[in-house]
Amino acid sequence: MNTYQAVRDAMSLAMSKDDTAVVFGEDVAFGGVFRCTMGLAEEFGKERVFNTPLTEQGIAGFGIGLALMGHTAIAEIQFADYIYPAFDQLVNEAAKIRYRSGGQYNVGGLTIRTPTMSVGHGGLYHSQSPEGFFMAASGLKIVIPRSPIQAKGLLLSSIRDPNPVIFMEPKILYRSAVEQVPIDDFELPLGEAEVLTTGSDLTLLTWGTPVYHCEAALHMLASPPSSLESLIPPSLRSAKIELIDLRSVLPWDVETVTQSVKRTGRLVIVHEAGLTAGVGAEISAEVQKRCFLKLNAPVRRVTGWDIPVALQYEKFHIPDSIRVLDAVMETLTY
Amino acid sequence: MIRFPSVSRRFSRQWVARGLANVAGNLPNSRLPVTSNLKFFNSVQGDGLIPAFRVLDGSGTLIDGAELPEIDEKLAHRMYENMQLLPTLDSILYNVQRQGKISFYMTSYGEEATVIGSAAALESDDEVLGQYREMGVLLWRGFGVDNVMAQCFGNEEDTSTKGRQMPVHFGSPELHFHTISSPLATQIPQAAGVGYALRRDPYRRGRSIAACYFGEGAASEGDFHAGFMLASTIPSPTLYITRNNGFAISTPSTEQYYGDGIASRGPGYGIDTIRVDGNDVLAVLKAVREGRRRCLEQGRAVLIEAMSYRVGHHSTSDDSFAYRPRAEVEDRKHIDNPIVRFRLFMESQGWWDAAAEEELKIRLKAGVMKAFKRAESIKRNELGQLFTDVYGGEEPWNLREQREELTGLLKKYGEVWEPWRTELAKFKNNGQDLLNLRP
Repeated sequence: MNTYQAVRDAMSLAMSKDDTAVVFGEDVAFGGVFRCTMGLAEEFGKERVFNTPLTEQGIAGFGIGLALMGHTAIAEIQFADYIYPAFDQLVNEAAKIRYRSGGQYNVGGLTIRTPTMSVGHGGLYHSQSPEGFFMAASGLKIVIPRSPIQAKGLLLSSIRDPNPVIFMEPKILYRSAVEQVPIDDFELPLGEAEVLTTGSDLTLLTWGTPVYHCEAALHMLASPPSSLESLIPPSLRSAKIELIDLRSVLPWDVETVTQSVKRTGRLVIVHEAGLTAGVGAEISAEVQKRCFLKLNAPVRRVTGWDIPVALQYEKFHIPDSIRVLDAVMETLTY
Repeated sequence: MIRFPSVSRRFSRQWVARGLANVAGNLPNSRLPVTSNLKFFNSVQGDGLIPAFRVLDGSGTLIDGAELPEIDEKLAHRMYENMQLLPTLDSILYNVQRQGKISFYMTSYGEEATVIGSAAALESDDEVLGQYREMGVLLWRGFGVDNVMAQCFGNEEDTSTKGRQMPVHFGSPELHFHTISSPLATQIPQAAGVGYALRRDPYRRGRSIAACYFGEGAASEGDFHAGFMLASTIPSPTLYITRNNGFAISTPSTEQYYGDGIASRGPGYGIDTIRVDGNDVLAVLKAVREGRRRCLEQGRAVLIEAMSYRVGHHSTSDDSFAYRPRAEVEDRKHIDNPIVRFRLFMESQGWWDAAAEEELKIRLKAGVMKAFKRAESIKRNELGQLFTDVYGGEEPWNLREQREELTGLLKKYGEVWEPWRTELAKFKNNGQDLLNLRP
C-alpha cells in the first residue's frame, strides 16, 4: 500500500466498526483530490461520506457538532494551508469544549485530516506545515505520520482517541512511500516518538517528510558520494546517529527525546516550517532545561527559512539532506 | 486546486418566483430562464420589506386575521412565570454584579417573549445551541435558580463550567443545552453538525431538531454563512432563531447590515424563513412550532428572525446610554413591553389578575433572593480542578508537571503571599488537594 491507500484503509476500517463515523470535506465524495477517500462513498453510502460546501470554518464547526453528539467525525481540510479559516473553531472551540463545560461535553470523536508539507511545486499555499500554530492549543492532539504503516496505525488511533486530533498527512508521501501494510485493524500510540536508528553520538529529531531527508543525510555521512567526499571528514563517517520520528507534535514525547539527548549530548531538530517560534523552538527550550549538563553542543535547528514557500525556490527553502548533513557535521564537531 | 462554480438547479425556481419572466428560453443544460430585460433586484419580497408575523397587538388583543396558537391556561401560566422570572433574576444579578459579588452579567430585558416563546415551542430534548442571552430556555426546561446562581458565582455547585467560564455561560447535557462559549457565531455551523447527528440517530431521526440562537450582530460572522450553507445543503434539521434586538453592543443594526435584516438572507440559502414580532410571545410560539415542524419535515434548516429591542445594557461592562438616549429605551420599555402584552392577553382570557401578579412577583423574588444568599456562601471547586478536563484519557506530561510546579509554589508561598492566601480561602479545602500532592 502507498500512503493514500493506507489512509483510506484506516477510514474504511473505522467506519465499518463504528456506525456513527462519517467522512466529509471538500470533494471527498468522488474519492478526494489525493484519492484518500476512493470508493468510500460507494462502500458506505452518501449519508456517511459526503461533500460539504467550500468552507473550512464550516467543516470544522460541523465536525464539532457531530462530535458533541458523540458521533465520530472524520473531516478533511483539503490542504493544511487552508486550515486557518478553521483556526477559531479548532483553537477556541474544539480544544476547549471539554474544559469549559466542566467535562460535560467533549469532541473526542473529531479528527481533522489534512495534507501537509512541501510537494516540489506547491508554492505558498500548497506547501505549508502549520503544526506549530496549533502546538499551543492545549486540548488538541497533533499527529504526523511518515509512512503508510504509520499513517494507518496512527490515523486509527487518532479517530478513536477521546480528544480532537489534527492529523497531518505529508502529501509528497501519498504515492511515493510504499510498504507492506497489515490489512487488519491495528493502532499505534499517540504521544510516543519512535527511535528509527539507535546511536550514541547525536540525536536527530524530525517528523513527516524530512524523515527521509534525514535518512539520506545519514547515508551520505556514512558513505559519501564521490562529489561530497572531500567535504565530509573521515572521522565523522562512523558517527552513530540516533534518528527519532516524533510522530506526535502535541503532546510530544519528552521522555524519548530527552533520554536520547542525555546519551548522545547533541541534538539536531529538522522541520519544514519556518524557524521562528516553530515546533523546534519549543523542543529545544525544553531539552536545554532538562539536559543542560549533558549537552556538548548547542541544539541546532534545520528548518524552512522564515519566509513563505516560494515556488521556483523550493529546493533552497526546504531542510533537505545536504542541509541536515551540514548541521549534523557542525554539531558533531562543535 | 482551481475550482469551477457549477450552476445550481435551485436558481430556476427562484428566478421564476421573482417574476423575471422567461422570454427567450433557457440557458443550455439548465432550467435557468433567459430574459432580455436588464433588471437588477434587491429584495426577496418584491419591492417591499419582509413583514413581521404578529398575533397580539400591544394591548394583548388578537389582531385582524390572526389565529391563536394552541395554548391553554396551564401553558400560558408557565410561560408567563418564566417570562417574569427572567427580569427577577436579571435585576438581582445585575445589582449583585454592581456590588462586585459576581464578575459579570448579561440581562435578557426586552427579549423575554422571544426566548420563552421559542423555548415553549421546542421539545424538551431538542438540542439547543445558544449565544448567551438565552438563559430563559434553561429556566423553561427546569434548570432552576440555584444552578443559575452556582454558575454565575462559579461555586462548587457550578456543573456548567466548574467555575471555569465567565458568568452566564451555562450548559446542561441533561437539559440538552450545549455549554455557551464567548466566541460569537461558532455555534452556528456546530448546530448544523448536531442536526446531522440527530438525523443519523435512529432514535431521534424525525423527532428531534437542533435549535440555534444568535443575535443579529453574530450573523455578520463568517460562521453564520458557513452554518446556513451547511444545514441547508447537507442537509440537517436545524432551526436558526435570530434575536434581532437592534444592537450589537453599541453598533446599531443599521451599521451591521444594509439589506432587509437577517430574514432576507434565508432564501439566498434556499431555506424557509419567517420574520416574527419578537415582543409577541404567541407569535413566537406559533412561528417556532411551525418552523420546527418544517425542519423535521424537510430535514433541513429553517430561519426565524425575531424582532425585539435590547432594553438592557449589552452587559455589566457596558453603559448603553453612551450610544443611545435614555428616553428611547424608556419609551420602548413602556410602549412595547413583551411581558405586559402577554399579561393583558391573559387577563382578557380570565387567566390572570392583579392578585396573581402580586403573588407571583413576591414568590419569584423571594426564591431568587434565597438562591442568591445560598450561592454566596458556597465555596469554589477544589483548586486542582484548574488542571483537569483539558484532555480525556491520560493526562499529558506537561500538565502533570505544571500542576506539580504550582503545588511546589503554593507550599512555598501559599501562606505568605497575600494575593494567594486570600484567594485560597475561597476554594474548597483551601487548596489542600493540590498541597497534598507529592511534587
